[in-house]
Amino acid sequence: MIWRILIFLWIATTMVVALLGAPLVPVLQETTRVLYFHIPSAWVTVLALGWSMINSVLYLIRRDMRNDDHAAAAAELGLVFCIVATVTGSIWAKSMWGSWWNWDPRETSIFFVLLIYGAYLALRGSIEGEEKRARLSAVYSIVAFVAVPPLIFVVPRIYSTLHPDPIINGSGKIDMDPMIRWCFFSMLLGFTFLFTWLQSLRVRVSRLERRLAT
Amino acid sequence: MPLDASSSTATVWAILRKECRSEWRTRYGLNAAVLFAVTALTAVTFAAGRMPDQPGMLAALLWITLLFAALSSMSHAFVREVESRTLLLLRLVASPTEIALGKLLFNLVFLCVVEVITVPLFLVLTGAPPVRWAPFLLILGLGTLSLAASSTLVGAVIAQTRSRGALFAGVSLPLLLPVLASGVAGTRAQWDGMPIDADARLLAAYAVALFGVSLLLYDHLWED
Repeated sequence: MIWRILIFLWIATTMVVALLGAPLVPVLQETTRVLYFHIPSAWVTVLALGWSMINSVLYLIRRDMRNDDHAAAAAELGLVFCIVATVTGSIWAKSMWGSWWNWDPRETSIFFVLLIYGAYLALRGSIEGEEKRARLSAVYSIVAFVAVPPLIFVVPRIYSTLHPDPIINGSGKIDMDPMIRWCFFSMLLGFTFLFTWLQSLRVRVSRLERRLAT
Repeated sequence: MPLDASSSTATVWAILRKECRSEWRTRYGLNAAVLFAVTALTAVTFAAGRMPDQPGMLAALLWITLLFAALSSMSHAFVREVESRTLLLLRLVASPTEIALGKLLFNLVFLCVVEVITVPLFLVLTGAPPVRWAPFLLILGLGTLSLAASSTLVGAVIAQTRSRGALFAGVSLPLLLPVLASGVAGTRAQWDGMPIDADARLLAAYAVALFGVSLLLYDHLWED
């Protein structure tokens, strides 16, 4: 309970400071503010999908249903945050590049990730038997995560894209106004906590569902 | 199961031969794939006509035809075992990895046969400009490897679900979209006279990663 309130206060405070107090980036103008939502949700997407993969590996080693709960919940949440990143990115693209969707390499690869994890959920839904579902989903989740690093980290560096350099860029430093940087990292932390909280809720729900079923 | 390299190779080879023989007896999968490819080609050339001056369109059509022809029948390597209830017997004589490797090799052979029929037909019917064979075959080969690796693993997973046929394409295709994208880009670059190394490298990395992960996962496909 106390955690929930703390996360809420943290994100709310950061949001107020970011929207009212932080300066604007000259090139981006008013759209600078999308930055505080777009990048953290992309970050949480990678984090969640990675967590799903780690738990799938652990499931195959230990055969513990709790790992499967974590893997499924993280994949669902990763999909949700991926949608948030895609939609905010699309809004940003409309004002900066002039069109909602233009199949830029970045847009293409995030869309592929959406489809791959959509397929993961479709697969989960069609397997009968708890143990079998956990095992086969774990296998697919691990294969699915093979596609994530190339799509998110390699493709935008090979093909020319309009998308600006990611935070971890070639020059190895972050070009940000100190105030923007503070708000940005604070938001990153807030989103990460938000993910951990949602994840714990989702895992608890699946545990309760299992107890009801037996 | 003793892990002896020479006996494993023999088992994989035996499974490959068994697959080829049972496919040859019915030719159910091969007929479906080739028929699909030829029908799709006919539909495409009727609808769009010959287009020697549009390499981008040609590359996209080639890969889409190949991918869907393959997807229409690649799952049946495992589905056939489940439907004829022979999987248990197969698992008595071979380890999961050996079975999967045998099926993977069979899928590779199968794809090569489909491509040997489809690709020349495609080049003739669409009036494509002359290809540069080395880069063209390199891109095609790497794409085929990824296609075979992913459909073997997904096929084995799908064979154990409720809606086998419908789900296979739906679950395989997202995994193959990166292959489709860089395959199309590479084939197009080859026609445009551009370098293909970025696409080839991406395809190769993806194929190796898919195959490597599959090797680790085959043992978990079935319950012991």
